[in-house]
Amino acid sequence: MCLIAERRVAFPAVKVRSVIEIERITPIPRTAPHIAGITALRSQALTVIDCRVALGFESRGDPVGSRAAVVDHEGHSYALVVDQAFDVVDALGDPERVPGGFGESWAEAAIGMVETASGPTLLIALETLIAGHQAQAA
Amino acid sequence: MDDLLADFVAETREMLEASGEEIVAWEADPSDKARLDTIFRFVHTVKGNCGFFDFPRLERLSHAAEDALADCRAGRRKPDRALVSAVLAIMDRIGQMNDAIEAGEDYPAGGDDALIEALQPNADSASLEEAPSTESDNAEGGTARTIRTAPVQRSIRLPVDLLDEVMKGVSDMVLARNDLARRLREAGEQPTIDGPFERLSAILADVRNATTRMRMQRLEHLFGALPRLVRDLAHELGKEVAVEFEGGDVELDREMVEMVRDPLTHIIRNAIDHGIEPPEKRREADKRETGLLKFAARQSGNRISLAISDDGRGIDIDRLEAKALAAGVYTRAELKRMDERQKRLLIFEPGLSTADSVSSVSGRGVGMDVVRANIEKVGGSIDVFSQPGEGTTFYLQLPLTLSIMPALTVESEGRLYALPRSYIEEIVFAQSRDVELAHAGERQLLTFRNRRVPCIALAHVLAGNETEPVDWPETTLVLIRLATDEIFALAVDRVHDHEDVVVKPIPPAIMETGIYAGTTLLDDGRPMMLLDVPNIARDCGMLEDLRARSESVVEEESAAPEKPSLPVMLFTGLDQRRRAVRLDLMQRIDTVEREAIDIEGARAQVVIEDRIFALAGHDDGPLPEGRCRLLRLSDGESEIALIVAEVLDAAQIDQDMRADGRDPRYAGVALLEGRPVPVIDAHRLFVEHGNPVSAEPAPARKVNAL
Repeated sequence: MCLIAERRVAFPAVKVRSVIEIERITPIPRTAPHIAGITALRSQALTVIDCRVALGFESRGDPVGSRAAVVDHEGHSYALVVDQAFDVVDALGDPERVPGGFGESWAEAAIGMVETASGPTLLIALETLIAGHQAQAA
Repeated sequence: MDDLLADFVAETREMLEASGEEIVAWEADPSDKARLDTIFRFVHTVKGNCGFFDFPRLERLSHAAEDALADCRAGRRKPDRALVSAVLAIMDRIGQMNDAIEAGEDYPAGGDDALIEALQPNADSASLEEAPSTESDNAEGGTARTIRTAPVQRSIRLPVDLLDEVMKGVSDMVLARNDLARRLREAGEQPTIDGPFERLSAILADVRNATTRMRMQRLEHLFGALPRLVRDLAHELGKEVAVEFEGGDVELDREMVEMVRDPLTHIIRNAIDHGIEPPEKRREADKRETGLLKFAARQSGNRISLAISDDGRGIDIDRLEAKALAAGVYTRAELKRMDERQKRLLIFEPGLSTADSVSSVSGRGVGMDVVRANIEKVGGSIDVFSQPGEGTTFYLQLPLTLSIMPALTVESEGRLYALPRSYIEEIVFAQSRDVELAHAGERQLLTFRNRRVPCIALAHVLAGNETEPVDWPETTLVLIRLATDEIFALAVDRVHDHEDVVVKPIPPAIMETGIYAGTTLLDDGRPMMLLDVPNIARDCGMLEDLRARSESVVEEESAAPEKPSLPVMLFTGLDQRRRAVRLDLMQRIDTVEREAIDIEGARAQVVIEDRIFALAGHDDGPLPEGRCRLLRLSDGESEIALIVAEVLDAAQIDQDMRADGRDPRYAGVALLEGRPVPVIDAHRLFVEHGNPVSAEPAPARKVNAL
């Protein structure tokens, strides 16, 4: 459960290895805009993804000091930079579609809406974040 | 012992050990079907394997046991105690023979018939009496057992994944250690911690070395599959080809073996399809009907060279040229200017295949260009040599391992990047006197040693455009030689250091940029990107540019008189005299504070970055106040620091300089710009200063002079 672009979103907790604070980041020139760079976590290189940019929002700038969720995807490790990270919460039910959709930016990344103890939350597909916003790639 | 045979012995023993329990259980209850099945499988496997090797006695024994057991399984026969002991006796015998095979001994002959006889259902007590010749077996076996005590290298088989995991763990440990080392340095000296830490470092270095060896695989494994492949291909194409191997004991990283398998297969396809002629043509050409395909592997330093040669018709260069023309890859004029070698290398151009018709064997859309790309991807290179009518040889140069790579760290815009060292030809400073910078249109050119080399700026590559002006004279130029022998210069802000880096793969999103090949961590834990040199060259159009350029180079070179020359580094000693030292010994230039130098009588040492080096050259004059310039020299085994007043420049001198026997300090005196320059006899320095490196043990690091 975390906050991206002032919206509550959730990643499947089983996929999140840990939550870190980005200390130092090495930018990589010429990569897609949502890739903020790489950072090291215990001698392991993580690709830092700015989730705001990946979803098509404006970046909050330098991700140093931000919280990031560390996930493994297809053999590579990523750090997903979020606005804020909260606790793990239990989803009270399966992801559902919401009539009218989630809004342009969220539509492709969202698996669906889940009810939690602290209200409805969007469940985000990691693949889409890692691949970046389609409009950006085009 | 043959690896396959070793596998067989190990497998047999494993199965024997595993079935030991089963046998006991079976003995207790001969009607137990599951036990019977297990034991049947054992003798069956042994029988199958024996046929593969040439062990007639083992085969006969296991065959007999298999027959008897098969009868039991089919219900034709009821297992009884007599049968159980007879089978047991045979299994014992198999175990003993297996031991004998491992020890390379002949197992004493005889006794087999009695054992087999005992299996017969009508075996009466008489033959049963005979069957327990297990006792006499034991006597015989006794000799075999004593032989067993001969030192036989035991081996176990492990899943490869586990090995990879261990290797990854060790790499991570090295990185974690580096991180810790940095923190310890920052925290200042702590004798109680530093000692154990040093010890830990040393152990880790050993472990890392051993792990690297664990992953090594003999090339035999790769070669093993080739005779069959060659036979099948030759058969399909109606040719006769014999295979010959050399250097199968050369070891290569397992991963690397996998990486070269496909390119190698393709080269073999090519050789059999295009190289080796059909038998009748070979007869006409006065050659043996059977063509020969030869594989020779050799290890040189931290690289493996692999030569694949056939004795076929050689590369048809005229046809290659025609193809290149037809495909529009080169113009007639360009082709005309190429030398033989350049023409031969056309074979690696995309879209050129010498076969007129696409056969089922080659021409499946994978060309030699893909072979080259794949070899280059693992940091290797490929070359080809061919003699019309005599044959073709492909030379592959491969690094020993994929995961640890010698690299040069360079800086651009305040960030560090790593360049694989295998590409680097030389490093020059743009300000150096030997270097001339010129513009041709928008293209920056560098003239160095009579070669005109195109330059690209790393800053431009990284920015993705060339809008930012580059202050060329302020840059350091890294001359890069691609596998195609094309050279270009990459301008960087600064060159830092040689480092052995552990390369990790990068995610696809970063791979997409096409300028990075991997990522690695610096000692201080900062990540650093490894540049994909061939791709950058391609992106910048260097391959095209160079083609036109290389012609002018060839002409210029042939115009210059051939004179063997030796690159040297010029400097002034503390006595303000000009001297030179061979450039290939130069490691780097260091600047240290005066306090770092410690001289006491005959002992002179200097501390550079927490390592102690023997100091030379301090006898020439008074030490400078404040900062001291040092040339760090290495002969590949040890390093020494030579103190100088000023570092001048790199230069070329004649190889045959005048030897001056009177001063043992100098290897000779060279003439440079009309002035004599003594060249230091560095080997004498190394001999005098013995084994001066008290560096942390880093056996994996083999420093090659650039």
